[in-house]
Amino acid sequence: MSGANTVSARSGKGFFSELAAIFRGGDAATRLTFLVMGLGSLVRRQFVKGGLFLLSQVLFIWYFFGFAWQYLSKFTTLGTEGMRREWSEARQIFVRTPGDNSMLILLFSVFSLMLLLGFVFLWRASLRAAYRAQLDARAGRKPATFQEDLRRLLNERFHLSLLSLPTLMAFAFTILPTIFMILIAFTNFDANHQPPGNLFTWVGLTNFTDVFWKDPLKAGTFGRVLGWTMIWAVIATFTNYLFGMVLAIMINQKKVRLKSMWRTIFVITIAIPQFVSLMLMSQLLHDQGALNMLLKQWGFVSSSVPFLTDATAARITILVVNLWVGIPYSMLITSGILMNIPKDLYESASIDGASPVRMFFSITLPYMMFVTTPYLITAFVGNINNFNVIYLLTRGGPLVTDYYQAGKTDLLVTWLYKLTVDRQNYSLASTIGIFVFVVSAGLSLLVYNMSGSARKEEEFQ
Amino acid sequence: MKKFFVTLLALALALSLTAVAVAETVTLKVWGSQEDQAMLQEMVEAFKAANPDKTYDITFGVVGEPDAKTRYLEDPAAAADVFAFPNDQLYDLLAADALYEVTRNKDAIVAANSAGAIEAASAHGQLYAYPMTADNGYFLYYDKSVISEEQVQTLDGILAAAQAAGKKFFMDLSNGWYIASFFLGAGGKLGLDENGAQTADFNNERGVLAGEAIKALAAHEAFLTGDDAILTGGMGDTIAAGVSGTWNADAIKEKLGENYAATKLPTFTLGDEQAQMGSFAGFKLVGVNTMTAFPEDAMAVAEWLTNEENQVKRFELRAMGPSNVNAAASEAVQANIALAALAAQSQFAVSQKDVLGGYWTPAEAFGATMEAKDYTKDVKTLLDEMVAAITAK
Repeated sequence: MSGANTVSARSGKGFFSELAAIFRGGDAATRLTFLVMGLGSLVRRQFVKGGLFLLSQVLFIWYFFGFAWQYLSKFTTLGTEGMRREWSEARQIFVRTPGDNSMLILLFSVFSLMLLLGFVFLWRASLRAAYRAQLDARAGRKPATFQEDLRRLLNERFHLSLLSLPTLMAFAFTILPTIFMILIAFTNFDANHQPPGNLFTWVGLTNFTDVFWKDPLKAGTFGRVLGWTMIWAVIATFTNYLFGMVLAIMINQKKVRLKSMWRTIFVITIAIPQFVSLMLMSQLLHDQGALNMLLKQWGFVSSSVPFLTDATAARITILVVNLWVGIPYSMLITSGILMNIPKDLYESASIDGASPVRMFFSITLPYMMFVTTPYLITAFVGNINNFNVIYLLTRGGPLVTDYYQAGKTDLLVTWLYKLTVDRQNYSLASTIGIFVFVVSAGLSLLVYNMSGSARKEEEFQ
Repeated sequence: MKKFFVTLLALALALSLTAVAVAETVTLKVWGSQEDQAMLQEMVEAFKAANPDKTYDITFGVVGEPDAKTRYLEDPAAAADVFAFPNDQLYDLLAADALYEVTRNKDAIVAANSAGAIEAASAHGQLYAYPMTADNGYFLYYDKSVISEEQVQTLDGILAAAQAAGKKFFMDLSNGWYIASFFLGAGGKLGLDENGAQTADFNNERGVLAGEAIKALAAHEAFLTGDDAILTGGMGDTIAAGVSGTWNADAIKEKLGENYAATKLPTFTLGDEQAQMGSFAGFKLVGVNTMTAFPEDAMAVAEWLTNEENQVKRFELRAMGPSNVNAAASEAVQANIALAALAAQSQFAVSQKDVLGGYWTPAEAFGATMEAKDYTKDVKTLLDEMVAAITAK
């Protein structure tokens, strides 16, 4: 049948067609490997390899039915009965016996399903190994020994050895929690459904419809918090960028002396941890804070300036304070690039009679934009999720009565934080989290693909 | 190979031995606030000394009462076995089946504590926690040299006296706890419906009048808001009177010296009548985690921490008002000015038990709007929005 083409079973085919090809081409031992992993290898005297496959199958079945099934079987309902209590006359207490726990059911179900997926790949590997051994035996070659297999993992298949640990880690610490969190958005895991006392269950898209249009309070809050998040992200990103660039250009002027001293002075603000300066600012700008006290003492104002307690003022304050913590970074980045712009461009421009402003818009800015678009995208997404500046300065305040558990300067991310930490409304928070992810990922991809940095990559230099 | 089995056997033996040892030691974790740690340690040492027949391994975690619910719900299995919490968290904790019913020694505990405290620790006719203090409320501190005993009876009198002296009246209006005193004084009710969801009527006719009173207060020249630090820092210098609770008693007493005085909250102008400001009566309770491995021992510790002797100690060391009847009747407690003021206010106080977590942020939002003198919406609209947000599921 498929005599010589050993490779064909490996590449260029789909998952099922490959398995079908192995089944068609396989002898009895290979076909039995579909049921008993490693059998094909054992028959061809690959004892270690076959044994490992068999062992993994036994372990998996033991794990799956011995442990995972008690959770997976309840995956559709997420549990029906919480902690049980029973009066014990002897102990004079209501003895608790653990019942279902929706959260554990969800967590272990996701984990087990991912393990099942991994097991399917292992199962396919055992089939491939059996088939290869069968083909090797038929062609009169000696099937690879375990030592040879190991050696191959260090040579031509080194990429597998190198990447397996990071992949495993990414699955365990990134992908598993992400899937778990995404699934929570489809449940009613909130303050009234706290396992093990009150179980939560699937509610479909209720959270999404609620937050997007159905529940006027939540949808209204969501729309307005989203609006401010976007305004904030755009203004914060571009003001930081522009002011940082202007500062860098000023320092970069030929007439300015002691350039490195000026740079150092501005960079010194980085030496103070961001959260410390933010909390100091919050104290300083407070209604009864130092700045207001001074202003009142000097007679500039009669009552406190509501830096952080009036909606508009608080928003402006936040943007300005954000300049304070952000400009040093953008100045550093831009001054490096500025020094790289070829001087002859400016020289020929000035010979042609171009004004400094014209030179800025025709040479400096396009050059900068070309190099820094990816940085701007990161900064923008970072600002959408800029928890520190908002939470440490105003805690999202000033609160208003027509928002649901949020204030005028709350970003989606700080609102999400309040919903989880203060209100235990995990499902709603997860819904918002998904939305934030979609927005930031979508915007970054869109802008990046439209930018010169991506389209004209090869033109640079 | 033989060596391997021997090692394995030794290991198994060692494990079983430690398992036996673990079974003999009662391992418990106790949560308390940062300020209470030393005192808690002392109480627990005394508990160990009183129960020499058992080995205890009792550790402490710094989780203040206000954070107890949040921290508990983060991971019930990892939470403390015995923890203190304010009684307004009772229903939220019960929703997660967090608390063991108090069944052992129940009659003695009920008899030893005030009826209000027992009521505050009960739900559906069942006692769920051990009352620890009865001082989680607020009242008025004032400077005797500025405000006379007659003026202190009405809010208008206090404001007038403070203004005349160029000083301020302090109240943290942007805080659901304090701002409630106006609505409660106007007869407003926070309750629970048959599904256990929050109900509120702070937007009815009298509620709106209370809202107008809050608006007038926030706009008054002699009004000052802020946090505890502002109050304790300014009392006597720029502040003539302030609304706060017993935890600030020592600091304020020190600042005012001879002029230190405290009393019930004043009356305020509600429409064209004078209404007594209400307040929340809060109790701090000690609960036993249902996830504990040693329920009986955890209950014994909880009971110990809240017995008469330790409530007296709590009063002596931390000036916390006892919920224990005997401890509260002692001369020292009776002579405490702050606690006497709290007792005077307590007849106008309502239990905080029926206040769920959703209340605080919207109430704070209303107070913050009034403090910011943002009058783009009228009081009725704001209160409607506030109540809608409070009762949102």
